[in-house]
Amino acid sequence: MKFDVIIIGGGLAGMTAATALQTSGMRCAVVAEGLSLHNASRREFCAAGGTLLAGDRVVSGRFAGDRLVAVRTEKLGDIELEAENFVLATGKYFSRGLVADMDRVYEPLFGLDVDYDEDRSTWFDPSFAAPQKFLEFGVKSPGGLAVKDGAVIANLYPAGEVLAGLSSAQGDATAAIVKSATDAANAIGRK
Amino acid sequence: MPVKNEFDVIVIGGGITGAGTARDCAMRGLRVLLIERQDIATGATGRNHGLLHSGARYAVKDSESAEECIRENKILRRIAANCVEDTGGLFITLPEDADSGFGLDYQATFLEACNRAGIEARAISPREAIEMEPSVNPSLIGAVVVPDGSVDPFRLCSANVTDAVLHGAKVLVYTEFLDFIREGDTILGVKVLDTRSGETAEYRAPVTVNAAGIWGHGVAEKAGVHIGMYPAKGALLVFGHRVNNVVINRCRKSADGDILVPGDSVTVIGTTSTKVPFEECDHMEVTPDEVRLLLREGCALCPALASTRILRAYAGVRPLVADDSDPTGRSISRGIVCLDHETRDGVKGFVSITGGKLMTYRLMAELATDAVCRKLGVHKSCTTAETPLPGSMNGRIESVSKRFEGKPTAGQKGAAGRQGDMVTKIHFETEADRQLVCECENVTLAEIKYAVKELGVRNLEDLRRRTRVGMGTCQGTLCIRRAAKALAEALGQPELADKLAADYLDERWKGMRAVGWGDTLREMEFMQRVYKYEKPYSYDEI
Repeated sequence: MKFDVIIIGGGLAGMTAATALQTSGMRCAVVAEGLSLHNASRREFCAAGGTLLAGDRVVSGRFAGDRLVAVRTEKLGDIELEAENFVLATGKYFSRGLVADMDRVYEPLFGLDVDYDEDRSTWFDPSFAAPQKFLEFGVKSPGGLAVKDGAVIANLYPAGEVLAGLSSAQGDATAAIVKSATDAANAIGRK
Repeated sequence: MPVKNEFDVIVIGGGITGAGTARDCAMRGLRVLLIERQDIATGATGRNHGLLHSGARYAVKDSESAEECIRENKILRRIAANCVEDTGGLFITLPEDADSGFGLDYQATFLEACNRAGIEARAISPREAIEMEPSVNPSLIGAVVVPDGSVDPFRLCSANVTDAVLHGAKVLVYTEFLDFIREGDTILGVKVLDTRSGETAEYRAPVTVNAAGIWGHGVAEKAGVHIGMYPAKGALLVFGHRVNNVVINRCRKSADGDILVPGDSVTVIGTTSTKVPFEECDHMEVTPDEVRLLLREGCALCPALASTRILRAYAGVRPLVADDSDPTGRSISRGIVCLDHETRDGVKGFVSITGGKLMTYRLMAELATDAVCRKLGVHKSCTTAETPLPGSMNGRIESVSKRFEGKPTAGQKGAAGRQGDMVTKIHFETEADRQLVCECENVTLAEIKYAVKELGVRNLEDLRRRTRVGMGTCQGTLCIRRAAKALAEALGQPELADKLAADYLDERWKGMRAVGWGDTLREMEFMQRVYKYEKPYSYDEI
């Protein structure tokens, strides 16, 4: 199956980008585990003809050169979903867009480069109410594109809280999340 | 002018030893004052496994401790039925233990030592062990069943304090010992600081008992006597649900992280043992190395721990005492140390009770009270081994639950489990009283009101120690603002709610930071989101 854009994650960032791209005439698919998929945005996206793979999740990706070519999902098994461009909107730790183990923070789907502090003692402030550094961690995105092993992936756009420096857990970040998703959609639209 | 003593004895320290001593003294008719610088059970009492030792762990190396443990084990089952859960225990042998000299030959030695100490122990097959406790490491090659159990140290301490008060004792929490009132070689009483009001006061009694755990070192120094204490830090991890229903121990020489204890809704693994400086005893942090070690050893007992969320980490300090006869301080005893400082150091009116462990608190209290009575010329014998504690007087939860009209609610059952027969003092009158405040642990508004009225609760940490509020899987994430508001209103100070919640969250945060990765980190992000998404700690919009 081939799409113009595959959006991974159905939260605020994912649905914002998906709806913008679908209504601009592109053929989009959203793979969303479902927890934060809002009914209103789901209706709008589907009404515009988008493909929604609800309750499914991406498990791996196939790369060729500097591009992500296709992804596989849990339910579709070895049927690949191909696309020209991809938006990664998987969120932070709670939604497993980022995973932390004892020694590192990583992006579990594609192994993208993550901005984080290797010194664990800096992750938390002893005061619960103070800003917490671990919430600043996220994937790198120079020029809006993801990076893997130091090389830019030319068609993978991270958006929302999976990005370094963007978290709604320390205060309202709705505007910044929507902007990051709109930026990703605009960059894809300009191509 | 002759000094008028308002009390016969002053007990310093509101841990289990001090609480037990206050109870014993009060039951023997003495006028008792108990002072505690924080809340009850804030030191080592509330920072251990909550294991009701059978004594099997000490059987091979220290038969005296083993015999003490099994005797007290049987006594606690009788007098503190509501604080004890009869889970049973397993000592398992793993294939790798055989390589290090703790194979089935050692198991035979262990069994023999247990039986010699009076601990009912029997070997069972690996298959039987797995049937008894399905979460146990299936590669085990042998297992021994022992009468281990779990004990809720908060509840046990609270019950002792409550009974001391019922017998006329005066208990002052958040009252810090500053110095002794002294005349020549005699201790006449104590100077204390009320840490909340900032006021100082003096209390006098012919005898003062130092039951301050590791902090007893400093208390003794103020009297000019030296106790060679050895602060041994022990770190523990709490897991997100009750993984095992039977205590699992490793059948080998005691080592780090080889006991897994189920308690209420969670499971605890421990512990480590590291000497720490006295200055650190007030600020224990669990290190990454300790966590790694506990996880590795815990997974050897129960592989499912590898994929179980860690709720939090905590550490306590054992008040171990170096043998008086060993000047190097290397010969450390885990046994009970009761010191009459008149015969030992020439200081009159002063007794120290230390060493020992949670399991033997009652015996420690008995020895300390015997020493106090000798000094006062009082001839009353100890009755604490036969007299049930409040909450445990009328059998177990099942019979208590029957006191409710109709079918008891989850909150009533929870309260009956925690407060035992004292549950009759909890008034589930209105619909609001029956509402759950903490859903993980089934704590109702009525129980919170009761804890404020009868159990001296002042903040959410105090409340947690009495009712388990916020101790469950969500660690207070979903209930603590409700609990803070309920508590502040019960205290008659509704404006305190924000401060209560903030303090509580900082304490929970401390325990989570040490294990902040994996699913715990997911919970931490969620917690931040819940409390900070809008304006932090504001009730205005609720």
